Amino acid sequence: MFKQIQNWFDERIGLTKVIEEFNGERIPRRGGWAYTLGSLLAFLFTVQVVTGIFLLFYYVPYFPIARNATYFLKHHVVFGNILLGIHLWGAFTMIFVILIHMARVYFSGAYKKPREMQWIAGMVLFSVVTVLGLTGYMLVGNENSWWTINVLTNVASHTPFIGGFIREIARGGTETSVLTMQHIFAVHVWLLPLVVIMFIPIHLFLIRKTGHQGMALEYKNSKISEDDEKRWLKPDGTVPFFPDQFYKDMIVSLAVFAVIYILAVVVGAPIGPMYRPLALHFAPEADWYFLANEELLKYFPGHGLIIFSTFLIPSIGFGILFLLPFIDRTKERSPFKRPAATVLGILFLLLLVYLTLIGGEPKAPATV
Amino acid sequence: MAKSSEESPSRRTFMMVVIGLISTVIGIALAVPILGAVLNPLFRKRDIVWTKLGKISDLNLKPLSPKFVPVYFRVKEGWSVNTLPRQVVVVKQVNGDLLFFSNQCTHLGCPLHWIAARQKFLCPCHGGMFNATGQVVGGPPPRPLYQWVHKFGKDKDTVYIQNKFKDNPKDRGI
Repeated sequence: MFKQIQNWFDERIGLTKVIEEFNGERIPRRGGWAYTLGSLLAFLFTVQVVTGIFLLFYYVPYFPIARNATYFLKHHVVFGNILLGIHLWGAFTMIFVILIHMARVYFSGAYKKPREMQWIAGMVLFSVVTVLGLTGYMLVGNENSWWTINVLTNVASHTPFIGGFIREIARGGTETSVLTMQHIFAVHVWLLPLVVIMFIPIHLFLIRKTGHQGMALEYKNSKISEDDEKRWLKPDGTVPFFPDQFYKDMIVSLAVFAVIYILAVVVGAPIGPMYRPLALHFAPEADWYFLANEELLKYFPGHGLIIFSTFLIPSIGFGILFLLPFIDRTKERSPFKRPAATVLGILFLLLLVYLTLIGGEPKAPATV
Repeated sequence: MAKSSEESPSRRTFMMVVIGLISTVIGIALAVPILGAVLNPLFRKRDIVWTKLGKISDLNLKPLSPKFVPVYFRVKEGWSVNTLPRQVVVVKQVNGDLLFFSNQCTHLGCPLHWIAARQKFLCPCHGGMFNATGQVVGGPPPRPLYQWVHKFGKDKDTVYIQNKFKDNPKDRGI
């Protein structure tokens, strides 16, 4: 019976061949677990889309009501707390895993020729996912959302020349208003997810086109000289993507999903207090992935210098990351044989962790 | 019958030019209304209203001791009319002059806390500090506190506030 169905499709569109072509890609053998991060991200994104669609059954993007809708979803919809929790913890996990994925690619030199475009496609995905996180935080409609909208649009307004326009466009006017929420909503549920959905296939297509470009340990026994680009096309051993690599992908996905699910059930999604515009002692807090940048904002005082923390340092840092394959054009891949890149990478990660930790300290002045 | 592109190179060029032109026309035709929708806020005038704050004599102001007084602006925002509750920080100076501050930090707009023991406004976000007359005394804020545009009624006691700050050409703050 199954064979007949398969034949029916094969006669017309050669389905089996298509599937084999897709699944048969050969993956370098030794780093199997390190290569699961990309698939894990694709899985996490799918979870975000699916949970997000059903959150829309209840959500209303209108300022004070948004938080009521979120509250209703969490407390009155059957298993709504789990749905909301998966969406929240899934988002946090996704941002965290992207950082690990980027670090893995950075330290193993996988962004080098011929994979420059792939790194750039990945950076686009990273930036979009970060903005998705921030806009999601704003959509909850609680007190923090309100101040995050104000602070971030003010940060954007310090962009040279067009800053004021960016702020007005983002807010839908001079003040944070009903239109602000509507714009953020449209960006969060339509615009940016579509960009992600467009760029994931580009990212994947480029992997196929550039062929194997594994970590240095895949080439231990390779006899081709290190200066020869062909070396990177011939790893010591390969396995088919399906089922060998896919099996590992599934195990990692399940493990991460289990963590997200447990967090969703046990901790849930804290939706915070209702927005009280007249509150006198409220201290807004940013989400954890924005704390490093938040901390930067404290260091550049007064006229003129503010642009360092709001625009120059973040955009230069981002620019360097974006153009990394064009800045570092050496051919060496092993992290041990390019100490400068490795040490710089580690220092950058430590700085990020340090800024995040001190940025997360309670900074509200004591209400004496 | 028209020649195919393979038979005539000039025909091929012609087809490619037409394809390019059609794409450009459709692209521009779609981009115009989309840009309009996106850039619309730049062409909207902000709804500025006068709102009564209350009588100064009711506040029992002491010199350099700020009072937080809520004000409720009814303004048109997009397709709806909404109430914007805002804080007006009324400070009486030593010489008796009144200052009407916003409680927004001039750095990035967080809500300021008045710490009476230290006689300072502190910003909970990035550590900005202002004294009771609104001058920056620490942290990253680039300018003194925003002051609401205000006027006195005929009785020289009732105050009206506009949802707009003085000396704020770029319309920063909320």
